[in-house]
Amino acid sequence: MRTNKNLAYHVLALFVIAATMLAACGGGGGAGSSSDFDWSTATSAADGGGMDALIAAAQAEGMLTTIALPHDWCNYGEVIEAFKAKYGLEVNELNPDAGSADEIEAVKANKDNKGPQAPDVLDVGFSWGESSKAEGLLSPYKVSTWDTIPADAKDAEGFWYGDYYGVLAFLVNTDVQPDVPQDWADLLDPKYAGQIALSGDPRVSNQAIQSVYAAALANGGSLDDAQAGLDYFSELNATGNLIPLIANNGLVATGEIPVRITWDYNALAAIDTFEGNPNATVVIPATGRFAGVYVQAISAYSPQPAAARLWQEFLYSDEGQLLWMKGYCHPIREPDLRARGVIPQELLDKLPDVTGAVFPTLDQLTAANELITRNWDTAVGSDIK
Amino acid sequence: MARVSPTNGFKPSASWKVWLGVVPFFLFAILFLLLPSFRLLTASFSTPEGAFTLDNIRQLFTEPLIVNSYRLSIQISAVTALGGGIFGFLLAYSVTVGGLPKQLRSVLITFSGVASNFAGVPLAFAFVATLGRQGFITAVLKNIFNLDVYASGFNLYSFAGLSLVYMYFQFPLMVLIMAPALDGLKKEWREAAENLGANTTQYWLKVAMPVLLPSILGSMILLFGNAFGAYATAYALTGGRIGLVTIQIGAQIRGDVLYNPGLGYAMAVGMVFIMAVSLTGYSLLQAKTERWLK
Repeated sequence: MRTNKNLAYHVLALFVIAATMLAACGGGGGAGSSSDFDWSTATSAADGGGMDALIAAAQAEGMLTTIALPHDWCNYGEVIEAFKAKYGLEVNELNPDAGSADEIEAVKANKDNKGPQAPDVLDVGFSWGESSKAEGLLSPYKVSTWDTIPADAKDAEGFWYGDYYGVLAFLVNTDVQPDVPQDWADLLDPKYAGQIALSGDPRVSNQAIQSVYAAALANGGSLDDAQAGLDYFSELNATGNLIPLIANNGLVATGEIPVRITWDYNALAAIDTFEGNPNATVVIPATGRFAGVYVQAISAYSPQPAAARLWQEFLYSDEGQLLWMKGYCHPIREPDLRARGVIPQELLDKLPDVTGAVFPTLDQLTAANELITRNWDTAVGSDIK
Repeated sequence: MARVSPTNGFKPSASWKVWLGVVPFFLFAILFLLLPSFRLLTASFSTPEGAFTLDNIRQLFTEPLIVNSYRLSIQISAVTALGGGIFGFLLAYSVTVGGLPKQLRSVLITFSGVASNFAGVPLAFAFVATLGRQGFITAVLKNIFNLDVYASGFNLYSFAGLSLVYMYFQFPLMVLIMAPALDGLKKEWREAAENLGANTTQYWLKVAMPVLLPSILGSMILLFGNAFGAYATAYALTGGRIGLVTIQIGAQIRGDVLYNPGLGYAMAVGMVFIMAVSLTGYSLLQAKTERWLK
């Protein structure tokens, strides 16, 4: 009896050890490319033998890993579905709510990781393109429609390229707040006490940083002086109108955040999603119309280099550009699409009027970014009440 | 893991085989607790480029933002440990010694087991839905009792609001820890005290409290540590605006302009130190209580 018991213990112990060792040997390997060509070195589809070769290589990889693409942002949900349907690839979507800094962090953190946690492609705020290029995190690539992308919205070597833009707007839940603000200055009115929120943390989110920058334009600042934006938000915070909750459309719908500062395309998409419940409206502010450009780039450590390149080709094709437009975004190739008359009239009619929107230069953006991320803490104060 | 001497309470015949079963545990502890802690310590002495530096440790004491973040974290942990501790103790008392029906006890203990583990984003949003500006309770108070809590100064997205949210996982933890300790209060002690002519106040002052106090204080220390490490709840509720230590560490390693992982590691080492002190306090006080609860 005793010996049996001892034996049982030994068997059990050995079993546990074996299981532990097996568990430690887990992990997976990525699929290799079927052709001999290394797509991570391709700076255009032609380098690897043209589009057909690219499609074949991407299909051999079988998957694309994206990050920070909410489905209601620029119609990305449909863009991803269309890409899947067209090429038969899986799309592995990481953290849809990440900010630009989080995306860059994900690339850095997964440099040596060829698994599903490493993003292939990025969609980041304009100023992150240049800084990531400087850090060696990007892989240059020029899509077939390269020449129709405006020169001031792309890196000459193809490390990053503008993809779409919009202006900052207010999404207002009119069931909760029927009194719709028309401009930045209106937000300081006491009737908006505890009702206004940004769409991110201005230390990591491009959308939030640029909201602060935009406010500067309407408050005596300029593209060269973002400090006025910090002062404005400092005041908005002091009046108690700004709440620290990070806004999303769900919180706008419940009325928890009646006024959300966000890109016009996000606000317009939200109204479609609400379908009248609640009633909401989008305000393009009367002054301080600030155009924010986002850029696409391919990670230098992309585990699926061919799929990453195919994704860019798709986004910059007429089809991809029009899908973005369906989500109220101004695609970067809009001038070319207009000139060739390929935009359906109903899409044109849906785009908001953003006359007078200003585009900061890269240097201005970088300086403003630095200023805002550094001083946000002190501007709103880690206040305790 | 060499041979075990008989003095350790093992049978002399015990050989290496006895240790086989615990190997996985030790492996786990080394890989996931010891090595990361060691890495934390070494990394807090290095610059983002990897050179040796004492700067990070110095900044812990000189950088106002960081000093303030420790102050804030300690403040919220202390407030919620005290509040949750007192409230949790009273609840535990009422279902153990207080003579409430037995069924209520199992209900409360079950609820506490669940609630003490309810944290992070779901907890934050549960509170938004309940006590937010458009929350259910807020609406009930406003429409039925004509009481507008927000107009009268309450704000969920503030230090006070965050403390309230923390309380939700603090007091159940206190209930879970205190219930067994209260069970240890023997009826005979009270009877003996009364037979010797003590009134209720005297019994509490001279008998019950001295027995319970180490356990109450020890549990409050544990509650302190429990709140000290919370991150997701605070981030979800206040978007990083209330700069607790955990939130500041996040800002350092999430990388942008603030990118300095070494400083993040150093701040984490500071947290480990504070946790170690409070846990040592907890075990000393627990040891004191054990004597009575046999």
